Amino acid sequence: MTIKTLDTKNLCESAKCGGCGECQTSCQSACKTSCGVANQECENTENK
Amino acid sequence: MIHCYKLSGLNIVLDIYSGSVHVVDEVAFDIINMYEKKSQAEILEFILNKYPDNPEVNDAEIKDCFNQIEVLKSAGKLFTPDTYEGMAGKLKEKSKGIIKALCLHIAHTCNLNCSYCFASQGKYHGERAMMSFEVGKAALDFLIENSGTRRNLEVDFFGGEPLMNFEVVKDLVAYARSVEKEHGKNFRFTLTTNGVLVDQDVIDFANKECSNVVLSLDGRKEVHDRFRVDFQGNGSWEKIVPKFQDFVKARGGKNYYMRGTFTHANPDFLNDIKEMLNLGFKELSMEPVVCAKDDPSRLTDEDLEIVMKQYEELAELMLKKHREGDPFTFYHYMIDLKAGPCIYKRLSGCGSGTEYMAVTPWGDLYPCHQFVGEEKFRLGSVFEGVTNTAIQEDFASCNVYAHEECKDCWAKLYCSGGCAANAYHSTGSVKGIYEDGCKLFKKRMECAIMLECAKALDE
Repeated sequence: MTIKTLDTKNLCESAKCGGCGECQTSCQSACKTSCGVANQECENTENK
Repeated sequence: MIHCYKLSGLNIVLDIYSGSVHVVDEVAFDIINMYEKKSQAEILEFILNKYPDNPEVNDAEIKDCFNQIEVLKSAGKLFTPDTYEGMAGKLKEKSKGIIKALCLHIAHTCNLNCSYCFASQGKYHGERAMMSFEVGKAALDFLIENSGTRRNLEVDFFGGEPLMNFEVVKDLVAYARSVEKEHGKNFRFTLTTNGVLVDQDVIDFANKECSNVVLSLDGRKEVHDRFRVDFQGNGSWEKIVPKFQDFVKARGGKNYYMRGTFTHANPDFLNDIKEMLNLGFKELSMEPVVCAKDDPSRLTDEDLEIVMKQYEELAELMLKKHREGDPFTFYHYMIDLKAGPCIYKRLSGCGSGTEYMAVTPWGDLYPCHQFVGEEKFRLGSVFEGVTNTAIQEDFASCNVYAHEECKDCWAKLYCSGGCAANAYHSTGSVKGIYEDGCKLFKKRMECAIMLECAKALDE
């Protein structure tokens, strides 16, 4: 049986250094009629 | 919480609270699905009965799978508990009073007369008006003053049709550029346009000053021209497409989106995506229409079923094109699993009414562009600041955990509780949910993550 785990950002870890607020607001760039945050880029330059 | 689904031949398991994504075989998929609901003995018996002819399915292999699951659990990558509720709202608390994005309604008028327009042909159910330079300047000053330590400030030129007031747009950008350095800010401008007034001057300006342009095109000519007509009823497709092609060619790699709306008339919107590709456009966004329940363009339940299938076919087309070395992007399928938003962002909602506001031509502030024209949501003005603190408090307390319906939803950390305006227009409360929107959002996320899985497996 196989389980392949993708390399992903650990959300629990991001609690330690996240929240800088520099990222884009959620529907600013294209949709204007719905909301999602999954496609927002993290802009925290210190944690990259 | 986990979410298990099958799409395009892949068995995918999402661990919601860690953000982990696993691609598994069919047997492991079944085991993980049952793991927290049944005992290991029950699972073992079930799996042996379900796969009697599979030589790889035996006691030892199943127990090995149990072990793999336990290892992932210990590593915080599977069945991760929810420890975030206490954090919800902290980002907003921390950044209370800080504004970083404004949607400037530079023109409450339009040169097209699209019946499906949520802004009622640009007027937002009010009078036609243009924003003056003085009001726009006050808005930019208001943003700088209230942006705290935020460096990146976003300003959208929106309408109506912003190019009907292009001189003010240019003057405001020049003003912002003249003051941004002294305040330690970096303005990022977005221009949304229907294309009618695009000319070389607009193209040159936008390519120099706008980090993004949003170009409204619904796809196929007959689809576009059904709604996007001038006041004489003439379609705009033939007029705008060559302009958009020139515009995009001149972008030189800078961001743009071809942004379309699909309605009851074209739930088969993938054909419109294909038309955009045929026209040479590669950065695409198609949105389901948002309108009143009795609007004939509203998507019906039958339409939604078609749309769900279309999303899957779109993902398959994207994967095919990616593999052929001819990729294109779809706004709602852009997801960076390695470096996406942090948990605070995922918990704290869209930011409307707190870090993001819309400004009318008269300088009035609203929680977002979709609330403009609804007087009870007026927050204040760029001259006096936010005075309606009760309404702002309502928006400030909007987060994933403020929506009862989101409690058990696997997609909550991808949508952050959804669109406040859609929730309000659908339920009368910004803390409600817009069910149709949720259904489509979840399908889009499944497709987006499937695409990432397929690409990762290709590597």
